[in-house]
Amino acid sequence: MVSLRIWLAAIPIAALSIAIPLVNRIEPRVLGLPFVLFWIVAWILLTPAFIWSIGRLERRW
Amino acid sequence: MDPPHARFHLEHRPLGKALVNGAPVVALTIVAVVVLGTIGLALFGVRRVKMDPQQYIVGGRSFGTVFLWVLLAGEIYTSFTFLGMAGWAYGLGAPAYYIFAYGTCAFVIGYFLLPAIWRIGKERLLLTGADFFQDRYGSRALGVMVAVVQFVMIVPYVTLQLSGLQLLLRIAGYGAFDATIAVCVAFILVALFVFTAGLRGTAWASIVKDALVLGAVAFAGIAIPIQFFGSPAKMIDQVLRVHPHALTLVAGTAEHGTVWYVSTVLLTAIGFYMGPHGMSAVYSARSENALRRNAMLLPLYQIVMLLVFFAGLAALLIVPGLKGAAVDQSFLLVVQRYYPPWVMGFVAAAGSLAALVPASAQLLGAASVFSKNVLGTFGIATGDAARMLATRVLVLVVALLALGFWLEEQKTIVELLLIYYNGITQFMPGIAAVFLWPRANVWGVAAGIAVGFILAIAFAAANVTLWGVNVGFAALLGNVIVMVVVSLLTPVRKAPAAII
Repeated sequence: MVSLRIWLAAIPIAALSIAIPLVNRIEPRVLGLPFVLFWIVAWILLTPAFIWSIGRLERRW
Repeated sequence: MDPPHARFHLEHRPLGKALVNGAPVVALTIVAVVVLGTIGLALFGVRRVKMDPQQYIVGGRSFGTVFLWVLLAGEIYTSFTFLGMAGWAYGLGAPAYYIFAYGTCAFVIGYFLLPAIWRIGKERLLLTGADFFQDRYGSRALGVMVAVVQFVMIVPYVTLQLSGLQLLLRIAGYGAFDATIAVCVAFILVALFVFTAGLRGTAWASIVKDALVLGAVAFAGIAIPIQFFGSPAKMIDQVLRVHPHALTLVAGTAEHGTVWYVSTVLLTAIGFYMGPHGMSAVYSARSENALRRNAMLLPLYQIVMLLVFFAGLAALLIVPGLKGAAVDQSFLLVVQRYYPPWVMGFVAAAGSLAALVPASAQLLGAASVFSKNVLGTFGIATGDAARMLATRVLVLVVALLALGFWLEEQKTIVELLLIYYNGITQFMPGIAAVFLWPRANVWGVAAGIAVGFILAIAFAAANVTLWGVNVGFAALLGNVIVMVVVSLLTPVRKAPAAII
């Protein structure tokens, strides 16, 4: 079984790489951004939360 | 041509040549004062530090969150970011998204990888990436091989910074003078700075650089769109009206299509820390958790890239028609034409630091790896004092090599970066295998690097397109296959010194 930590790491990477062909469109525009760009920006903002959670699971902080 | 909906009437400002009276003097004076001031501040910051190789190359392994942050982020805010990202937004549009994505992916990988590399480095007193290979695979020859490849690959990366610098100085000079001499002078200055200040000096300079770049980018990515279009969102509306397909990727295997995007993000995310300067930055950390905290916070820095992207789009609407390598000038031309010379001066100063400070880290990384792993292995300059001297002299040598390469061969910024990444990423399988696949041995790793490197160069030279996949990624696959096969066919390696 793949551990939760690895999932938490894999999700943002997948969202920013292999998932992009699936969200590669302009509509719906969010905050004026084309959807694909909004998706990327949203995942950049979410990634620290994922890394923070991994650190908590490993009891680093 | 006046862009529709412009709030700013373009005729109200004199264009290009009309500004020449005094404008270049103002702009270039600001650039010179900022660059010299930063060097001065950095030298002041290191004035009481006693230099030995540990201090000079990896900052005495004492850097806390801030220094580490600016050093690791140095990889993001180079002149590639500043000009290349905007140039891509201008010239290609959506393919530039990969730049947001790869850094972020690299930090996720870095959370796991960097503390592990750091621990081995601290335990075994390693200074360079080549040391890591030499120690883990028990082979000095492998160390030499890695060192030579890193040394060769850093030259196009430094050259990239020089191309960026020339562009900035030429535009800040309003075309009134040829920037080549100025670039040479600035670069020699930086080499002398690295000669004196080492990695700690570079970290000091990075702090100033990041503050200024942040300011310049906020101006270019927020103020320009607001002044010309009302808001960034209205600017995007306008881009979509004029270029309806610019902001999504072409599907499938087309050039710069989705297949290219995915393979490029993965390749560059993997290669992110593999340069000689990247490994030294990792070793400079005070603790494992300093690295983990940085990996967590660095993605937020990437948001600034969005502003650079906006700046590129603004330029696409305001100064359309740039082609080829000229796209790298994008928003600089907007600043040059529509803003006063002092604004131009500060933007160009920020850009110059974004070229010179990373170049100094790269020079230092390349010089350290050569003096430690090549000269050291052949018994030259092994004492502390001798190694310091050798490293310093080599800083100057790499600087001259890069300068020579640049004067010979002036490529666009993006081409140079891709050459670098395709080569440097070939180290990753050997590093990953240390942690994930103990069966890998020195023959497998050496053969893998050799094959990956040769494939990367061959693909690039022959201009092959492999169903839209980034050629460096294809070379990396070849590398992994060769590493696995050769390792399985040769004897099991002796276990390296255990790390607690």
